Amino acid sequence: MTDTPSPAQMKTSRAKKPFWARISLIWIVPLFALAVTLYVGYRSYADRGELIHVDFKDATGIKAGETALKYREVTVGTVEDLSFTGNLDAVRVGIRIDKNIVKYIDSDARFWIVQPEFSARGISRLDTVLSGTFIQGWWDSDVSKKETQFTALDRPPVTEDPSTGTQIMLRARDAGGLAEGAPVIYRGLSVGKIQNLRLDEGGSGVLIDAFIEKPYDSRLTSTTRFWDASGISVNLGAGGVSVNMRSIASIVQGGVEFDTLATGGTFVQNGFPYRLYTDEEEARNSIFGGEFFEPARYTLLFDEPVQGIEIGTKVDFRGIEAGEVTDLSIKLDEDSMGTQFARQQIVISLSPERLGLERNTDNEIVNQFLSTEVTNGLRARTAGTGLLGQTLIIELTDVPNRPEAEMDLEAKPYPTIPTSPPATNSIAVSAEGVFKRVENLPVEELMTSATQMFQSITAIAGQQETQDIPDQLAGTLQEIRALVNELNANGAGKKASDALDGVTRAADSVMTEIDGLSATLSSTDEAAQAIAEIPLGEIGDNIDGILTDLRRMLNTDDAGQLPRNLSDTLEQLAGLLRELREGGVAEKLNGTLTAAQDAAGSIESASNSLPDLTNQIQQLVVQAQGLVGSYGARSNFNAQITDTMRELRRTIDAVGSLARMIERNPRAFITGR
Amino acid sequence: MGRDREEVTHITATEAGLTGCQRCGHVWPEAQTHCGHCGSRLRKVSMASLERVWALWWAGLFAYIPANLYPIMHTQILSDDSPSTIMGGVIVLMHHHDYGIALIVFVASICIPIAKFVAIAFLALSAKSEKPDGRHKRTVLYELVEFLGRWSMVDVFVVAILSALVQLGVVARIYPGPAAAAFALSVALTMLSAQSFDPRLIWRRAERRPSE
Repeated sequence: MTDTPSPAQMKTSRAKKPFWARISLIWIVPLFALAVTLYVGYRSYADRGELIHVDFKDATGIKAGETALKYREVTVGTVEDLSFTGNLDAVRVGIRIDKNIVKYIDSDARFWIVQPEFSARGISRLDTVLSGTFIQGWWDSDVSKKETQFTALDRPPVTEDPSTGTQIMLRARDAGGLAEGAPVIYRGLSVGKIQNLRLDEGGSGVLIDAFIEKPYDSRLTSTTRFWDASGISVNLGAGGVSVNMRSIASIVQGGVEFDTLATGGTFVQNGFPYRLYTDEEEARNSIFGGEFFEPARYTLLFDEPVQGIEIGTKVDFRGIEAGEVTDLSIKLDEDSMGTQFARQQIVISLSPERLGLERNTDNEIVNQFLSTEVTNGLRARTAGTGLLGQTLIIELTDVPNRPEAEMDLEAKPYPTIPTSPPATNSIAVSAEGVFKRVENLPVEELMTSATQMFQSITAIAGQQETQDIPDQLAGTLQEIRALVNELNANGAGKKASDALDGVTRAADSVMTEIDGLSATLSSTDEAAQAIAEIPLGEIGDNIDGILTDLRRMLNTDDAGQLPRNLSDTLEQLAGLLRELREGGVAEKLNGTLTAAQDAAGSIESASNSLPDLTNQIQQLVVQAQGLVGSYGARSNFNAQITDTMRELRRTIDAVGSLARMIERNPRAFITGR
Repeated sequence: MGRDREEVTHITATEAGLTGCQRCGHVWPEAQTHCGHCGSRLRKVSMASLERVWALWWAGLFAYIPANLYPIMHTQILSDDSPSTIMGGVIVLMHHHDYGIALIVFVASICIPIAKFVAIAFLALSAKSEKPDGRHKRTVLYELVEFLGRWSMVDVFVVAILSALVQLGVVARIYPGPAAAAFALSVALTMLSAQSFDPRLIWRRAERRPSE
């Protein structure tokens, strides 16, 4: 018997269920939850968009996590964080942008803050009062290289969408009455607005962005001219007063108007630079044209002070207006001794067109051109225009006898054109001299002296003797009347003939004397010329002296005697007349007159029988000749006339010498010295 | 404590081949599938139920993550839309010195859910290890979890009520965020998780080792 070993205890265990069988279905729930959570997490991460950074000057109203970035008024992103740039210059705003938009944000993207705006044109973006400030962005639909760092615009651009019009740039000397958002006016229609008023790089002008909406922008060509239409303009002309004002907004905010004055211009691109004129007249008349280009500028240095030149003064190039003065200043220089001296520095700008060059000629070529001209004698100088040369201009012209000079092309800030002394305008100079002399006349003293003289005259007039003069005059007149009556009482034709004859001869003598008189007159003329050459100032002094002397004279006793002497003279005259009457002269004169009367009567009666009259006249002439012949060359009357004429001549000579004396010493005219 | 003392003298129902009805407490033989008294299904005390607990626990935890990261409520006053997360809301309330309300929200929405996660995990783990320590306390803890779990829904109710009440058009508007749904789901899942836990497991005696 074999001891069969009992079989080993078989260790049995239940087969393990497969892994999947052991897993309860309930695990689907957490797996599902996990899947959903992960999916949501992934989605929000994937949809998170991309972060860009925009630098703002300040973050007015921007709040992290709230402020939206909008494109065409649709939110496309949210501000995520605010930080500063490294040097604290700007606020760096991180914006999370929608994934499907971010690809369009390339280098042309622009960002700005939108806030409510209150202006004369009204209130805009009032919605932002409620919704809060947001950031507006603009970019085009081109997908190009992605950028993540931007700098925001300081202020909203003229327009969000540049495709709705044309943006141009205006350059003005100053902003005048223009304000941000002011309208652009075309024939009274508001067709756009201006924005971004700012100083240009050099600070020599103002740059303004203007946006002209479609379809008005098709009116813009390269010949368009812009001008400032701010406020109200009042013109007083022959047609009366015309008041010109545009919209209320243009009064408050200013406005810019434009017009295309010439045909043939080319259409303009965005950013085309225009010159902004201060008014319509200037815009229409200016030689610089509508397009803005940097004109060639030159410096003129004047040693002598130049007055009357101001900014805008015309510059003539050989008589043609070619530019204007753009700046006036003083330049300090040192001479070889190290002494400082100031010179007037005038900056002019020239239009190449007016120099005979192409419109947009490079400044280098203009410099070359002028340099050659200067070598050939071109100089800058001031000159007067207008009737009296009262308007000064700068003249670029060929100056004879000038010292050699060259243009300094290296000078800063602009090349210099050598100058020469101002052109002498004779009328201007002499007029200036006259005005200076008049200015120096002692008018005050003159008036004082004149007043005193008149007082003296009044005193004389008040004297008894002076008041007697009219009585004596009346007496004299009575005498004359008596004489005339006597003449009327007597009448004699023969005497008249005699008288006529005498008169004829006397007339001859007078004619002879007149020759002498003409000589006298010419000397008088000379005297007058001499007077003309008398220096006015001295004359003024002399008149003053004369008046003083006259006054003194009038105050003397001699002057007091004057009326008495006058009355004596009148008495003598009366006596003379009486003598004349007694001497029969009166009768003769009377006779002459009667005869003349008769003769006139005869002429009248014989007017129908002219031959008879002629005969009678002939007879009369024969008779007269005979009478004259009998009268004799040595007749007393003739001799007296001759003497009288001689006396007259002497008197005129004396006047001549008096004139010469006055010329030498006018005071002697009164004082006798 | 006397109640926790290991009573070697009595045997458990499982050892006796019996299953207690969880609803009416009637004890039936192990083979019985339905309670002859109340008709509900009889379930054996089994470690398999822990699997269910864990599954729902994880699901609740996953839902709890977005519930805290996403805004639970959007408050739109005029057009100023301010979303707030649960914790963000608590911080905002504290900034406004509403410490009381902040505390209520913090406790109901943060503390209780987290405590619940921890408690359920602790109960499940301790049930598995079959350590006999603190069985009574664990039962109390389970009851507490069951009781307090529903209060976590306070936050969801607040959002729901406010969303319904504050609809003033442009002026003011409150609407729930995605976290509200996630939070509600999380709370529901943890409640289900807690319910899935069989408290009888706490009292289950460790398998008799051969040496004993």
